[in-house]
Amino acid sequence: MVKFYESSFTYDYTFPAVTLAYFLRYPNPYSTHVLSTDVISRSVDPVSGRLHTLRIHRKSSRLPPAVLKLLPKSVLGNVRSGRSESYILETSTIDIKEGWMKTESKNLDWTGILSVVEKQEYRRQIPVDEGDDFRVGAGTTGVTTTVMFRSRLGERLRARGTRKGEAAVAEVDDEPKKGFLSSWSTSGIQRSIEAIASRKTENQLGKSKEGMMIVLERLRSGGLVGVLDGMRRDRELAFGREKM
Amino acid sequence: MSASLAPECDGVKERYDTCFLKWYSEKYLRGKGTEDECAALFKDYKKCLTSALKERGIDQMLEEARADHKESDEAHMRRS
Repeated sequence: MVKFYESSFTYDYTFPAVTLAYFLRYPNPYSTHVLSTDVISRSVDPVSGRLHTLRIHRKSSRLPPAVLKLLPKSVLGNVRSGRSESYILETSTIDIKEGWMKTESKNLDWTGILSVVEKQEYRRQIPVDEGDDFRVGAGTTGVTTTVMFRSRLGERLRARGTRKGEAAVAEVDDEPKKGFLSSWSTSGIQRSIEAIASRKTENQLGKSKEGMMIVLERLRSGGLVGVLDGMRRDRELAFGREKM
Repeated sequence: MSASLAPECDGVKERYDTCFLKWYSEKYLRGKGTEDECAALFKDYKKCLTSALKERGIDQMLEEARADHKESDEAHMRRS
């Protein structure tokens, strides 16, 4: 039960600028749902010179209401009693010599209901030396985005119940037998959840591209200082001055 | 700069982020960044973040994410 979404795009900015914007993309006016970003680990491979970064983003988003409607009460109980925020784990690898960056983001919560994995591959598109000044608008950067949705509702809950023998999870497992799923198969619900997530993702990918564009434009017009100033303003607008 | 998930880590995070951005844009992007010059600042930030992740139960979620990854890989192997 897997669904894919794929798209390609070319940024009219150099590869170094795009990688910098990637690290600096939150906050921006299109990302008010992203509450925080932290670096869990970061290292430069001494042999390849590649930069590996592991980050965790906290978002204020909940499951889409249309997905919530499809879920049995026992599962909803778990979701609603939990936080109204979710966490995204993001890995990125940059090879500045070869001119590419690969990223992968996935949700850490609700993985039993829906897993979303977004992979991106950025590549430098001008083979000539584009210089090392990221403010110079020379060269372009291509990006291919692949998103995979997978709803493991049912299978996952059962597997978990067996593995850990959790009472709460076992109750969830019993629920379908009592009739909730009798008129509609689990796979039907899985497909619906995936379809809803897919529509939502197309919308969000557009927004994340807009956010990158704003950060890139700030970089081009004001350099690093311009980006940081913009961030400060966005943060004030989104979270209010008291939190600064 | 983006906020930390733990407000108590905002200060150390900002110091580390500032160091990293300087190193990244002035050295790494120019092919001169072979070693991490912000390691000491990262150590402070990491110390704060690690206990914050633990307090909030996020460390366990991270571990589960890794275990899940392994689990689905194994399932995939069995299928093929």
